[in-house]
Amino acid sequence: MSSGETQALLSVRNLTVEFTTRYGPVRAVDGISFDVNPNETVGIVGESGCGKTVTGLSLLGLVPSPPGRIVAGEILLQGRDLVSLPEDEMQALRGQEISMIFQEPMTALNPVLTVGSQMVDVLRRHKKLTRRQARASAIEMLAKVGIPAPAKRIDEYPHEMSGGMRQRVMIAMALSCGPKLLIADEPTTALDVTTQAQVLEQIVELQDEFHMAVILVTHDLGVVAETCQRAIVMYCGEIIETAGIESLFDSPRHPYTRGLLDSIPRLREEKRDELPVIPGMVPDLLHLPPGCRFADRCEHATDTCREQRPALKTSQQSAASVACFHPLD
Amino acid sequence: MSQSLLQVLDLEKYFPVRGGLFSRVQSYVRAVDGVSFELKRGRTLGLVGESGCGKSTLGRAVLRLIEPTGGDVRLNGESIMGLSHDALKAKRREMQIIYQDPYASLSPRRLVGETIQEPLDVHRIGTREERRAKVEALLDVVGLRKQVLSRYPHEFSGGQRQRIGIARALALDPSFIVADEPVSALDVSVQSQVLNVIAHLQRERGISFLFISHDLAVIQHVSDDVGVMYLGQLVEFASSSDLYGNPKHPYTHALMSAIPVPDVHHKSKRIVLPGDVPSPMNPPSGCPFHPRCPKAMSQCKDVVPPRKNAGTEEKPHFVRCHL
Amino acid sequence: MSAALSDHRESIWGKAFYKFRHDRMGMLGLAVVLLYFIAALGVWLGVWGTGWADVDGPKWAPMSGEYWFGTNIIGEDIFQRSIYSTKTAFEIGLVVAVLSTILGALLGALAGFFSGRWIDAIVLWLMGVLDSIPFYLFVAAVAFALQGNPWAMHVAMVSTFWTTTGRLVRGEVIKLRNFEFVEAARAIGVPQFTIVFRHIIPNTFHILLVQATIVFVAAIKSEVILSFLGLGVQDGVSWGLMISESTLEVLAGFFNNFIAASALLFVLVMAFNMFSDSLQDALDPKKVAAS
Repeated sequence: MSSGETQALLSVRNLTVEFTTRYGPVRAVDGISFDVNPNETVGIVGESGCGKTVTGLSLLGLVPSPPGRIVAGEILLQGRDLVSLPEDEMQALRGQEISMIFQEPMTALNPVLTVGSQMVDVLRRHKKLTRRQARASAIEMLAKVGIPAPAKRIDEYPHEMSGGMRQRVMIAMALSCGPKLLIADEPTTALDVTTQAQVLEQIVELQDEFHMAVILVTHDLGVVAETCQRAIVMYCGEIIETAGIESLFDSPRHPYTRGLLDSIPRLREEKRDELPVIPGMVPDLLHLPPGCRFADRCEHATDTCREQRPALKTSQQSAASVACFHPLD
Repeated sequence: MSQSLLQVLDLEKYFPVRGGLFSRVQSYVRAVDGVSFELKRGRTLGLVGESGCGKSTLGRAVLRLIEPTGGDVRLNGESIMGLSHDALKAKRREMQIIYQDPYASLSPRRLVGETIQEPLDVHRIGTREERRAKVEALLDVVGLRKQVLSRYPHEFSGGQRQRIGIARALALDPSFIVADEPVSALDVSVQSQVLNVIAHLQRERGISFLFISHDLAVIQHVSDDVGVMYLGQLVEFASSSDLYGNPKHPYTHALMSAIPVPDVHHKSKRIVLPGDVPSPMNPPSGCPFHPRCPKAMSQCKDVVPPRKNAGTEEKPHFVRCHL
Repeated sequence: MSAALSDHRESIWGKAFYKFRHDRMGMLGLAVVLLYFIAALGVWLGVWGTGWADVDGPKWAPMSGEYWFGTNIIGEDIFQRSIYSTKTAFEIGLVVAVLSTILGALLGALAGFFSGRWIDAIVLWLMGVLDSIPFYLFVAAVAFALQGNPWAMHVAMVSTFWTTTGRLVRGEVIKLRNFEFVEAARAIGVPQFTIVFRHIIPNTFHILLVQATIVFVAAIKSEVILSFLGLGVQDGVSWGLMISESTLEVLAGFFNNFIAASALLFVLVMAFNMFSDSLQDALDPKKVAAS
């Protein structure tokens, strides 16, 4: 989905990640392809088990390697394939060109080191600054992410800070080397609603200022609606729909997306009616049906749906795509 | 006319903070700081607030799973505070609880059937066949198959475990269930399934719920009345339609505007509150919300706002604010 | 609204078993232990090893068709004695392991569940006292007190070995206590002691099993030293006794007794340790639980 002459920043083609389990190999991510343009915010949405987190991790080569590995596909960062990159080059890349922030800041930050020493570490590794320069840079970064009195806070330990602040420290660390792409894996799920609002706003502001692309991995459609320009919907390891944010919410084409949007309780609705429900459950990745993976929960399913896997088809006019034999209109 | 099922009067739960050489009590964490409300039979009260506001503590204190340090709780007009161990055990049949974490709320080494049947065993209700039949009937109510009984909790998904927890809570036919964030840990598509089970119980069995959540949209969906908590105090309390249509407390306003809405055309004037939710160990003086309140006045810092009724006698709309 | 169930059933033990089966070292260890166990069983049933006390052989006979390991200084068949010792070893190991695990589980669970109250304080104090007494002195004291009763050694071991299990269980129970299923049981009205036995202790089985295997080995090893000191096995024979007897023989250049006993002991301990390690890995709740 590159627009005109701008080449996509990130191009994922047919990525497949397999995990070995006692019952056999399981494909957490099964042949997905998508692009991310520079300065764009893309949301990868789906429920637990759909493969969105594994997708995020595989972009940075962080898929835990004894059980999991990338068995097929390419991840092209400005033309460079990350899948075949040796580990030392990958390490140089992490933090510098692509950064990641995680859901739980308490476990992502080392509890026995001060915030400052962790940030200085990252800066010195990638930018070869002296300790003093790195410290100054870190303080500046903390101020940018909206932490008050950064010169004082830089010497604090993670547990002395609130959840929202820790998350901001993590963002500061991730952005300190000016990466081109930020992957945020459920960055606000563990935060309070009011803090969530702050942190999301911060991410949007920083994205602008740093001219970076952001991939926001989340299950929260509300967060996607507020921050993303495009969204990719995943189900059972596959991409089933991608679209610009407005058309995704106004007229979703895949029945799963539609079902998901309908089943979310919202404010200012008729109270106490039965919430529409997507019947059944997500299929077991070990016993996947031969056809469309959503077929047994879909009220529009036909025999074709049950027998053949629909491919992701891009529409000509809108750069949106959907993997369905009978997309909704 | 619905009669009062549960009355909570000035309930307090203070946790002592010990420190120093001899573990002396230095100060108190005021988890629940003088909360009063009434729950009528057949109605559901939604309790909303963020982390540290005390809503979970309140839910447990009402059932005396955590012992309150002050105030009174009355079930059907009778106080449960001074009850002996056995009397309280008998009262427990009327009030039950379902939990947020579907993974921690069921014992991993007990069969599902045993877990659901346990309340009946403990209170010695019916014969063994009757208990078995009751358990199977409960599975029907929550939409699970009989095969579930001979399996272990870890074999099920979060949504299914949550339903098992609901079945267990229903075993004693309580008139009142405290639901502590029952859907927060579930996926969206499963959330709606479990919410429908709860709605069904409200309608068909007339069970009252004290529904605790941080999600305003979910609360609106299930509640008749709503209470908003902040730092241990109930800052606003009204019927659902009144609260959502006409919120009076600045915190309620901010909370409502902060929720990300899955609607692209929703142009909210988002009120972003400065700072973080303060820790209940160091609550601010006066109105607990004043440091973050966009409308704070000088008296907010000094005087705890009293509870005022902005509504009518039959349909009260309580607010704790100086505005 | 009915929910689908997955078709393949999986229990915690099943998963553990699968992991264990693929651990070669562990399987090897288990195989060796079973071999020894069969030997012990045979002795216990009187199938073999019966001639352990017969003194009709020549002194220090070399290994031969009649005396597979040769004979010792007073003409006893070393092989018979070695085989008989497997029974002794398993007896001590099993009795001490089972009893100390039960004791450790009970006291540890009570201490953990009522942590902060007097039960906990007493149990912790008891653990502290027992752990600070030098083990062999304690055994000697118990042996004297029980006037040479053959169970003196078992009593002494059980009374000191339970403390490690107790501490581990206590720690786990303190953690489990905060889980919601415990509160849920209270909400239903389950009395506290029932909660401890029916809800909490079953969730510590993975710890108990591993600890039991560790204690088994510790018991066998301790017996060797106790027998050396003369405080061990009084009636019957064990590898410890054999080793102790062989000290004189070794000085005279006759090694069979010593080698037989030490080798058999070493192999069993080694095998059991391997088994125990992979059991611990297989049962690790972080790897086994809800995945």
